Amino acid sequence: MTRRVFAAHLDELAGLRQFVGEMARQAGLSPEADYRLRLAVDEIATNIITHGYEEAGRSGDLVVSAEVDPSELRIVLEDSGIPFDPRSRAVPSRDQLERPLEERAIGGLGLYMVMEGVDRFDYEYAGERNRNILVMRR
Amino acid sequence: MAFEVALETTPETAKITLKGELDAASAPRFKEIIEKAAVSSPARLVLFVNDLTFLASAGLRVLIFAKQKMGAGVQIYVIGSQGPVRGTLEMSGFHHSVYLQDSYGD
Repeated sequence: MTRRVFAAHLDELAGLRQFVGEMARQAGLSPEADYRLRLAVDEIATNIITHGYEEAGRSGDLVVSAEVDPSELRIVLEDSGIPFDPRSRAVPSRDQLERPLEERAIGGLGLYMVMEGVDRFDYEYAGERNRNILVMRR
Repeated sequence: MAFEVALETTPETAKITLKGELDAASAPRFKEIIEKAAVSSPARLVLFVNDLTFLASAGLRVLIFAKQKMGAGVQIYVIGSQGPVRGTLEMSGFHHSVYLQDSYGD
């Protein structure tokens, strides 16, 4: 397992994506799957930093670990921001996605891209920490 | 690759070139440029994205903001999107509201 700690700040997103990209390449993911995973991790991390920490007046870090086994790459993001299960948030319906932009709601797009992008998404809350788990098949 | 954004305006058209990675950290700079472009009430907003390598939902939200700020009548063109950036625009249904083109002739 490889583990990195990032400060919970939006400026850290680029470094976080770079780390995930390195792990994806080591796991032999296709460039397309690598992009989908980086985008999904970026969206989850953005939510954690913005809603879990900053808007809640909290500070802390984002611990990212990567585990590779013969069948999959698992990226786990751990934080101590406010508890939030991304699966509890409704993603936009097909009908909503076809609406003109001026009639669009602002929220939900990021999590839609997460759920569409990864092969499996899990969430746990334990020991006062959120654990977001993103899995790609190799 | 660091994010870069540049604006060029003519009486009818605002042209914005986006390069690098557009994420939640860089989206506020894109939003500022949209606000600047909206001042002249252009009929067309043309985004050149050939060198945009990463597009997060924060960037998509700026496009929604552009349509809301400039009015539903503004026509938005996205020129040169490719690979996963184009995939994101299509997956999120933006191709129903903006013109995705390979090139733009004045």
